[in-house]
Order: sequence, then C-alpha cells, then structure tokens
Amino acid sequence: MTTAADIRDAETVRHWFASAKHDGASAEDQERICGVLAGFADLTAKTPDELVAFCFLRKKDTGQRFLSVKRRVQMNEWIDEYVAQQGWEGKDAVVNANVIRGFLIHNGVAIGGNVWRKRPAKE
Amino acid sequence: MEFKQVIGDRSTIRFFDPDKPVEPEKIQVMLEAANRSSRAVNADFVKAVVVFRDDLDDETWEQLKTPTTTVQLDLAPVSIFWYGDMTFAQGAQDRLKELVDLGALPVTHGWSHSYVDEVAYGQVVEPMSRDVMASTWAVSVESGLAINQALLAAVDEGLGVGLHAFDSATAKGALDIPDTWIPMWLMLVGYAAEDRRGGGQRPRRPLEANYYLGKYGNPWKDVPGVQDRLRREGMLQDPMDPEKRAAEVRELAERFGLPL
Repeated sequence: MTTAADIRDAETVRHWFASAKHDGASAEDQERICGVLAGFADLTAKTPDELVAFCFLRKKDTGQRFLSVKRRVQMNEWIDEYVAQQGWEGKDAVVNANVIRGFLIHNGVAIGGNVWRKRPAKE
Repeated sequence: MEFKQVIGDRSTIRFFDPDKPVEPEKIQVMLEAANRSSRAVNADFVKAVVVFRDDLDDETWEQLKTPTTTVQLDLAPVSIFWYGDMTFAQGAQDRLKELVDLGALPVTHGWSHSYVDEVAYGQVVEPMSRDVMASTWAVSVESGLAINQALLAAVDEGLGVGLHAFDSATAKGALDIPDTWIPMWLMLVGYAAEDRRGGGQRPRRPLEANYYLGKYGNPWKDVPGVQDRLRREGMLQDPMDPEKRAAEVRELAERFGLPL
C-alpha cells in the first residue's frame, strides 16, 4: 500500500505543493492530501509522475505533446471509482476527488470536476 | 448606479452563487439594453437564447464545456447564448425607409426612398449580405455592441457576468438554433460569490499603447486631470491584489470543494 510519505518526493508532487502553496499548509493537511493521492496511485497502479504522463500523448508527425481527451475521461472515471471505493459521500466526495484534480491541474492537466452545492443542480 | 461606475465595476465573474436565483426581470433588463444597441440598417443582428440552470440536463451542461469554460458553467444560474444572424439584410430596405420617414435618416444628409432602393440597399447592404466575410464582420461587430450593453446592464442591476466560449455544436442541437445563426458568446449570469468587482481591475495597457492622435505612430497623450476624475467617478479603480485574490480563491475553493 502506497503512503503519503512514499509519494511526497515525486517530482510532480513537489511541483504540485510548490505551485499550490501547499508547502505552507499544516503538516496534517499535507499528510491528508498526499494520502488521498497515494490511495489513488494504488487504485490506478501508477505513480504520481505516471498519472500525469498518462494524460498526455504525442503527435505522430511532430512529436508535440498534447492532452488526451480520452485519457482525461479515463482519469475522471478512475476518480469516480476511487471515491466509491473509499465510500466518500457529499462534500467529502467532491473535495477529495478535486484533491486529485488539483494535483493534475498544477501539473498541466486541465481537468474538470464537480462543484459542491448546498442543493443538487438537478433532482 | 452611475454610468462610469458601472464600467469600472464590470469584471468577468467566475464564481457565482449557484443557489441564489436570478430574477427574470433583471434578465429582461439586460435584453432590453441589448435591444437598444446601435445597429447598422436598424437590423436585428443579434439573437439570444436565455437558459436557466434547470432547463437543461446535467449531461448537456457537461457537453457545453470547453477547455476554458469549466467550473463557471456549473456555478452560473443563468446562461445566455448569444448568436449573430446572417440573414440580417432581410427587410433592410423597409427598415431604412421607415427611418427615412421618421426623419432619423434625414433628407439633409441625402436620404430618400429612392436612395435607399438604388444606393444604400442596392449597392451596399445587399452585395455585402452575399459576401460571407463582410457579413460575418458586420454580424460580429454589431452583436458585440449589443452584448456589451447587456453586460453593463447586468452590472447596473447588481449581477455578475462574464463572456465565455461554448461548444456550439452541442448548443445548436440542445437549443434548436437555426442554421443561419453563428455563435458569438456564452454570457454567464448570476450573483457573484466572489467580490462583485472580481477582486479589482485587470491590468490594461496605457492609452498610448493602442490609441493615436491624427495618425498611427502618434500616441494619444493623457489630458491632465482626466484620470484623477475617472478615479473619483469609479471608472478607474484599484488593480487586483494577487495576495488578497489568492486568499479569496482559496476560500471559494473550500466553499465549493474545488481543486486548489
């Protein structure tokens, strides 16, 4: 099982913490969000660096890197699966899912998630 | 609200209160403002479809998103889809003659029914309507004028607004958009969950970077005292404070469970 400490020094995690200014957060908060990401790494059997790399493909002709829509969809499906596996509900489900999305966003993967509302957008 | 204050207060709002509905009356004020915009040949270049959050299902909203239109679409209670109508020239002759009869297009300036038929319509409007590039230019500019008036009216009504891209293919299907309408902007409307001035004015280049006197290359020079007056009257305001804004974004992210 991957722990927060296992992934804390990954390049993408360090970049995420620096970019999001999580370095200034309490040790408890740092541990919590790293723990969320560590669990997701376990579910996907990918390291944080591999998760970011997974979202990109290269054009065959130019070699230029681009964000894959299909892989972002896959990532969101994995996030949904992770939330269900953990049994998170309500605001916890939205917040923890968006911890992973925040990690991806700070590493250049623009990925949309859910918004927490007091009442659902549509019954 | 005073006009200059409205201009100064307007900033793109990206955090709306999703649980605070917008009064239809205020939306109508925006539409009336758009409907009063300046327009060539008195044509109805601009069209709009007002959609309240619950009018479409979640899947359609998701499909309307683009790489730059994301969370704000989830938060906005009202979306106004703005289009430009490429059939603007239809009826132009009659509308121009109506303006001649009213005296808005006066004889002193050369206007008559014959001039409308032979010159204004026959040699200008009608040929332009067959030129796709010229028509697209006209429709876009004229729509922009109307859209901006709706934006400013919204600010005057105490609402937050912003213009965004949208997936036009999804919108066309979901909203039954005619083939002759071309997409302009998606205007999101709601009460701001963030500072209603968007955290301060965005950076702008000084006038001399873009505006000239007499000819290109001779930059407009500030007239002493004007900027001070505009600060007093609210058009020029304090710039964004990045630290204050970061704290606000963090607070909003916590409220809505957004990524940070």
